[in-house]
Amino acid sequence: MDRLLEGAQVIQQGAEARVYKVSLHANAAPILLKHRFAKQYRHPTLDASLTKARVAGEARALMKCLKSGVRVPGIRMVDVENGCLGLEWVEGMSVRKVLGSGEEGEELEEVGVGRVSVGEFGIGLEMLMVLIGESIAQMHLFDIIHGDLTTSNMMLRRVSKPQPGSPPAEIVLIDFGLSFMSTLVEDKAVDLYVLERAFASTHPDSEPMFAKVLDAYAKRSGKAWEGVKRRLEDVRLRGRKRSMVG
Amino acid sequence: MPVLLEHLWYANVRTDLQTVYIALFANVANAAAIRNRIVAAASLRGEEGERERNEINFAFLDARPITSRLHISTAIYQALVAADQGSLRTKTVHSEILWTLNPSNNISESIKRFGISSTSTSLLVVHVCSPVNAGGPAPAEVAQRLRFIIRGDMVDLDAGLERVTDWDLVKKYYKLQTDPVISALSAKPDRSNREKERELVNELVVSAVAMKCVMS
Ligand SMILES: Nc1ncnc2c1ncn2[C@@H]1O[C@H](COP(=O)(O)OP(=O)(O)OP(=O)(O)O)[C@@H](O)[C@H]1O
Repeated sequence: MDRLLEGAQVIQQGAEARVYKVSLHANAAPILLKHRFAKQYRHPTLDASLTKARVAGEARALMKCLKSGVRVPGIRMVDVENGCLGLEWVEGMSVRKVLGSGEEGEELEEVGVGRVSVGEFGIGLEMLMVLIGESIAQMHLFDIIHGDLTTSNMMLRRVSKPQPGSPPAEIVLIDFGLSFMSTLVEDKAVDLYVLERAFASTHPDSEPMFAKVLDAYAKRSGKAWEGVKRRLEDVRLRGRKRSMVG
Repeated sequence: MPVLLEHLWYANVRTDLQTVYIALFANVANAAAIRNRIVAAASLRGEEGERERNEINFAFLDARPITSRLHISTAIYQALVAADQGSLRTKTVHSEILWTLNPSNNISESIKRFGISSTSTSLLVVHVCSPVNAGGPAPAEVAQRLRFIIRGDMVDLDAGLERVTDWDLVKKYYKLQTDPVISALSAKPDRSNREKERELVNELVVSAVAMKCVMS
């Protein structure tokens, strides 16, 4: 295990996990490896079983997505003993980056729609919003709740063999570490609300953009939309009240 | 002549697991004899038994239920990890590859489905060993041994699998016929849908193999 990570490229360092780009054998295509390292502040046995449950949970959620037609990275290796999950390497860019708001802390004035690089993927901003809405709807239709929907947890990638009449890029949802199964409209509405807040806090003038996401979500969800829509209004209201109090 | 014997090197496991050879044989004419040899070797005693088991120390797989290089190498990697951690569910790293490929936990079922049968005509053979510089066999030696055992043609792994994969069998073994994504595509079997279906089936079986250890 250690030898696999030695010299591997670190993609991201988080509080719970370190993310690497590695090859499992010499000359193999790279994969993304998420290593949930041991936490010193937790009891070792408890930590080990929590880690195992997280790795297993994320793998199962991804499998469920794959079977439900939700685009996510495929699973390439699981090593629960070491807290490792290996995933298909997605050659693309996070929606956060595509939308041009770049890294956290960057000046908001600089970002705006002017720097959108979505064109490089052969689609327009509007189509990007449609793709986002459709993939979330597809996930919710199969009762999968993401649990942490942000524009960093969606990647845009070019379609390898685009079909005539369908867009040349697609959305791949990532980071299912907090996901769970639920049929409740409440959970689906909260999922959408979390994304709405993420849009508002990172992308200026996000309202019309997010409205397009919801339009596409509604179209793809069919009858299920009415309930989610009403609940989303409730959730927004609760959110606003909370922010007035706090 | 192209190099048909695949030679993979894994740095992050025990020395005796670091090298993996893979070969695909088409037009195999003596599968029944090989199978008998494997069965007989298991009960041979003494030095002769030792030698014979060593001689045929490979995983002999029927190639039909294998979809791609990624499919077999994913099973191999998971088996290496289990062997490395001392958590094999079967006797050897070779039988563990078969077990890892099968979605259920039933060992004899995994052998029946993914192992060589007396009617197999395409065989995928895997050998896990030490690197050459640590006393393991060289590629030429492995190829030679295989040619002694198997009467058939060693072929290119990717191109060969493309010809022999039995997609209906794969869907049956991995219970994919009823998956919403798959049934939507197989309902309209034109050429582009068939290609998409195979890509998707490949992704589903690779992922299933990779996560088998947390499935049950
Ligand atoms: N399959 C993938 N292919 C390529 N890059 C990926 C893939 N998955 C994730 N990434 C990149 O790595 C980053 C971290 O991945 P991920 O969000 O899954 O890890 P995490 O540690 O759970 O993150 P966070 O701390 O944000 O919750 C992502 O923002 C993305 O840029």
